[in-house]
Amino acid sequence: MHYVRLVTGVVSTDDILPARYKHLSVDPQVLAAHVFETRSDWGERLVNSVIVGDSLFGIGSSREQAVTALKSAGVRAVVAPRFGRIFFRNCWNNCLPALTADLNGLVVDGEQVALDLDRGVITTAAGLECSIPRPSPWIHELLDAGGLLLWTQQRVANT
Amino acid sequence: MPLVDQIIASHRIDPVSTPFEVGEIVQVSIDAVYVQDGNSPTIARIFAEYGFDRVFDPERIALFFDHTVLSGDRQMTNRLREAERFAESLGLRVFRAGRGISHLVALEEGWFEPGSIVLGADSHTCTGGVRQCLALGMGASDIASAMVTGSSWLQVPATTFVHVSGTPHSMTSAKDVMLHLLAEYRQEPFLYRSLEWGGEWVEGLDAAGRVTVANMAVELGAKCTFLPPTDGHEGARFHLEPVKAHTILEVDVAGLEPYVAKPHSPFAGEPLGKCAGVTIDYVFAGSCANSSYGDLEELVRGLNGESVNSRVNLVVSPGSAQIYGEAIRNGLLDKLLDAGAIVSPPGCGACVGTQGIVPADGDRVLSTMNRNFLGRMGNPKASIWLSSPRIAGRAAVLGQIPSVEEL
Repeated sequence: MHYVRLVTGVVSTDDILPARYKHLSVDPQVLAAHVFETRSDWGERLVNSVIVGDSLFGIGSSREQAVTALKSAGVRAVVAPRFGRIFFRNCWNNCLPALTADLNGLVVDGEQVALDLDRGVITTAAGLECSIPRPSPWIHELLDAGGLLLWTQQRVANT
Repeated sequence: MPLVDQIIASHRIDPVSTPFEVGEIVQVSIDAVYVQDGNSPTIARIFAEYGFDRVFDPERIALFFDHTVLSGDRQMTNRLREAERFAESLGLRVFRAGRGISHLVALEEGWFEPGSIVLGADSHTCTGGVRQCLALGMGASDIASAMVTGSSWLQVPATTFVHVSGTPHSMTSAKDVMLHLLAEYRQEPFLYRSLEWGGEWVEGLDAAGRVTVANMAVELGAKCTFLPPTDGHEGARFHLEPVKAHTILEVDVAGLEPYVAKPHSPFAGEPLGKCAGVTIDYVFAGSCANSSYGDLEELVRGLNGESVNSRVNLVVSPGSAQIYGEAIRNGLLDKLLDAGAIVSPPGCGACVGTQGIVPADGDRVLSTMNRNFLGRMGNPKASIWLSSPRIAGRAAVLGQIPSVEEL
């Protein structure tokens, strides 16, 4: 079970983590404190959360710290109708599900939802089952390996 | 088939060799990778943490020192030295600080070949589309993995052919058209797509304009982009045909006025007339979108031999040492200095916010960059407008955004 955190409008990686932090630190724990800081004061609200966006999510730069910082802050998945392509890749490479679905109006901020990736379903607090994309074979391979880097490590070990 | 399909087909290494569809994920071999000083420490740490100690081909991997050329912060300089050691340990090609912005130097040095696949750790790697290269910006994990394996996973994109015709206003440049497209369409027709460009307006672009169009493909949300071949375009051989694309987008720029994007989004573009008169405190002319030689010429035309306004800092960052040198030889640098411009070493300059000049609280900045999200340039209490170099030059003199007539 996770808590829904609603985000409205187009979200850029500069919103998620301002550019200057990318250079100052590589530690996701340090960066977690700055997540979304130009937009709102999230504090602890991202712990065990599913971010639900209503628009295009993750446009802008390729900085992966935007994803690792979100994970560090406690985000368990991001659901949005559309994703910036680099952000989408960064999410799955780091085993943070980026799920293309429009939940606008179907969930409220703070409600508890259940996420079942294999069945391709998010279940709302009221019991409504919403469709989300099921992982493709490659995405499964990534998730099973624990992310792209572990997958790569295994590849190197096997050659 | 569209160009991106041709390139993917010639690079595919999946065990299964059946025809692929849009949306399908495939594995491809890659031809080159390049990273920057800003992101290589992250990649270096990944290598250390996962025990990677070699790359698929060190000759085809480069590190560019462009994001922070004059480091004013010892923590940053420590990271730069860390990056140098990392490159040396793997035998990578290094382009030292002062050489210029990675994407522009990569173009100069022939890192993008038509029909090749090049990955970069910066989102503006798409600039390689100028040379019909499948050039993809990616995050650190993708880049580290590709450096080690020489391959990457790709989701096959659909192709949109963007046909641009019509004669715009005489002061309207590639930058203005891109800001107009962002305002008019946002990312809707471009998201996740391969963009092929054509039409008389595209065919008439100069070298600087082609770079601007390819560079801002990522702002449009595209996966990749391809410009048509030109004369003197060594090796370019792919003719882009609308009939092969999945969708054709017809864009008519007849009479289009110059554009400015207001704070705090590249999508917030408006015709110049609507922003004229806005006071400007700081003009930054640079970034991979507009730091070619042709852009410096446009900037100088905008200055028109006059001095920079006494209230304004005009900071100019040429895209590369080569461009800088040409500017010196052709007298452009003299004109910039006479006007009172501050000319920085070639590099990303003020764009990212890690080096000068960071705007002051309340500063209204006019910049030739490609992004103006809140906090870009290092101060969330500053506001950034985006424009062409021509508009930037005039604004530096006037101390405000010019009207079309004032250009």
